[in-house]
Amino acid sequence: MTQLSQVAGGRGVSHAPPSGRLRDRARPWLYLAPVIVALLVWVYGPLVFTGVLSFMDWNLTAPHPSWVGTDNYTLLTDDPRFGEAVRNTLVYAAAMLPFATLVPMALAVALWKRPGRVSNVYRTLLFLPVVLAPVATAVVWQFLLDPLSGLVNVALGWFGLDPRNWLGDPSSALYVIVLITALKVVALNTLLFGAALATLDRGLLEAAALDGATEWDITRHLVLPHLRRALVLLGLLSLVVTWPWIFSNVAVLTQGGPDGSTDNVYYRMFLYAFAFFDAGTASAAAVVITAGLAVVLGLGLLLTGRRQRVVT
Amino acid sequence: MNPVRMATRLRRSPRAGIALIAATTLAALTACGGADSPAADAGTDSSSDQPITISFLSYNYGTPDIGGQGTQALIDAFEKAHPNITIKPQGVAVADVLTRLQTDTAAGSPPDVAQIGWSKMAAAYELLPIVPVQDIPPAADWDAAMEGFSENLLSAVAVDGKVKAVPYTISIPVIFYNADLFRQAGLDPAKPPTTIAEVKAAALAVTDKTDAEGVYLAVADPGKSDYMTQSVIASNGGREVGADGMPAFDQPAAVSALATVADLTSSGAQPAIAATNAVAAFSAGKLSMLIGSTAIAASLQKAADGKFELATTGFPSFGDKPAAPTYSGAGLAVLAKDPARQQAAWEFIKFLTSAEGFTIITSQIGYLPLRPALATDPKYLAPYFASNDLLSPALAQLDDVSPYQSFTGKNASKAVVTLQDEAIEPIVLRGADPAATLSAVAGDIRGFLAQK
Repeated sequence: MTQLSQVAGGRGVSHAPPSGRLRDRARPWLYLAPVIVALLVWVYGPLVFTGVLSFMDWNLTAPHPSWVGTDNYTLLTDDPRFGEAVRNTLVYAAAMLPFATLVPMALAVALWKRPGRVSNVYRTLLFLPVVLAPVATAVVWQFLLDPLSGLVNVALGWFGLDPRNWLGDPSSALYVIVLITALKVVALNTLLFGAALATLDRGLLEAAALDGATEWDITRHLVLPHLRRALVLLGLLSLVVTWPWIFSNVAVLTQGGPDGSTDNVYYRMFLYAFAFFDAGTASAAAVVITAGLAVVLGLGLLLTGRRQRVVT
Repeated sequence: MNPVRMATRLRRSPRAGIALIAATTLAALTACGGADSPAADAGTDSSSDQPITISFLSYNYGTPDIGGQGTQALIDAFEKAHPNITIKPQGVAVADVLTRLQTDTAAGSPPDVAQIGWSKMAAAYELLPIVPVQDIPPAADWDAAMEGFSENLLSAVAVDGKVKAVPYTISIPVIFYNADLFRQAGLDPAKPPTTIAEVKAAALAVTDKTDAEGVYLAVADPGKSDYMTQSVIASNGGREVGADGMPAFDQPAAVSALATVADLTSSGAQPAIAATNAVAAFSAGKLSMLIGSTAIAASLQKAADGKFELATTGFPSFGDKPAAPTYSGAGLAVLAKDPARQQAAWEFIKFLTSAEGFTIITSQIGYLPLRPALATDPKYLAPYFASNDLLSPALAQLDDVSPYQSFTGKNASKAVVTLQDEAIEPIVLRGADPAATLSAVAGDIRGFLAQK
């Protein structure tokens, strides 16, 4: 049958005039052209340019960037601040993971199980941090965490706890940034888990309950397996999409300090480029970050794919 | 489309496009300027009577506070006095000035006049096509325009004897103090401390007898500016930067100066908090002294109104050495290439730094009048100083200011950030050993400043 179709198709093509064949072949490319051009200009072009720039010494205005080979990469590996930024980035990612997965999943399930007006109010309140401007949120936190008169320390004082300089202490600053950012991440991911739950048939759950399944049994064996893909996806996405929020909090609240404790590779790249005007080293950092992310995301997808094959 | 604008755009080099792509790639998290070409808005006729529009990049412009209002008042007054010259102002965040100028220059459209902070000025001279302002007018015109301007300041900012950027919004550090807290602590507000030892004693008196904090010397600046570091070191007879542009802050006088500031913290006279928190505490009446720039005088006065009596005194000396504060703030630089634009830029700068200009700058924004005689001139600022003497101590110290020193080479900005982040803040706020820390950071900075 397939062969017949191919033969028939081949005859059809061979009977068309050459100009018509060309037009038929070109048509899909014409439809695709705007997207392809946009991708080349705005994504792959700058990506290639960044790669080339990582082998150059350029301050953004010099007329002739000079070729320095792998010097920028050597500078990165020799710079203890970049090493510290890499370590901090891993801590950020690990600390942020529960807030991107477990916490919003639990909240989404709780809200989904109790539909109604109260649930909708909670959902709206939870989502509110997402729509607030990141810098404005950071400034509000600056006031709340003021070591002398901030509301956080005042509230802790009611329970007899001593005030702390939350953002000025290297042992706490990174985790405070994580918690502040987590509010947005939890809010967004709760909404996304909620969207995943919307496709779950409540009739199944009622049937299970009639068969004597407890609330925990239903959650454990019906709801959570349904959210497995969303869990993996949002976990991997959190490695990519949370950084702009972390960046704005770091830029406003700590500028990478104290003692580099809140620095990370993205903020360091910004410093290289726009505080030190070293576009070459910044580009090298961008290439390292992209390669690192590609490896992590590739491994994640590989492991997820294997697990799914084993399950099926 | 205006033919001049179209021709200008067509003449742009391909490199501009490449630079923009690079800037876009690297600036995913920052606002890169999208300034129009300066030539886009006016002709290039050099005749001074022809209408011309020049662009002005200012970090004060566009802000909702007194800085924005004062800058708009300056522009309005200039345009009224020079109807043929139109100013096209562009706002920018203070931390992004050099970045914006870099990207605009790379794109082929730098502003004609820019307000640039002194801590970034050396890098700006090195990176940007700045035309020395003193080179634009004839010598006689320059001399006439600068008559009455603080000579000490002009010579302090000169590079190889030439003024490249004219001092504009200048401030120097002073001691702001809460006279009410002084009284509560048994101190006489009429006799404020004049040395750093007296500052410490007064601060400890306040912490002993009131619930307030003592003093905050804002040397760990969140903007990564080192003007206060330079002020402290110079007042102790040292230098942050040597004559060769290399670190000199590991020398005994500098180490001793920073150890003295660190002692304020370790003794309890100074809280170990960030400068922004200290300003908030002072504004709320919970800190008795704040040693900071006069740039915040107006906002502190606003905060103090109806709450406490605010007063100022000069920057403290270290022992018997004379106080030698360094100025901070900004100068006006010209990036216009076209002679007609350069001439219009000079007219604009001449106005901004004239008696009329400084009357607006001081009375509406709160920066120092760099023509000191205006403070007693009834036509200009005498009425202002009669009712507001917060700037008087700073004005009195204008003749003692020490020149702002800059590190050498392409990594100068990195050197300042490294010094502030890895030496000054840990020493002053977290008890790091001054000598060892300054020595280690100086070695690090020497290493990357020496790189080609």
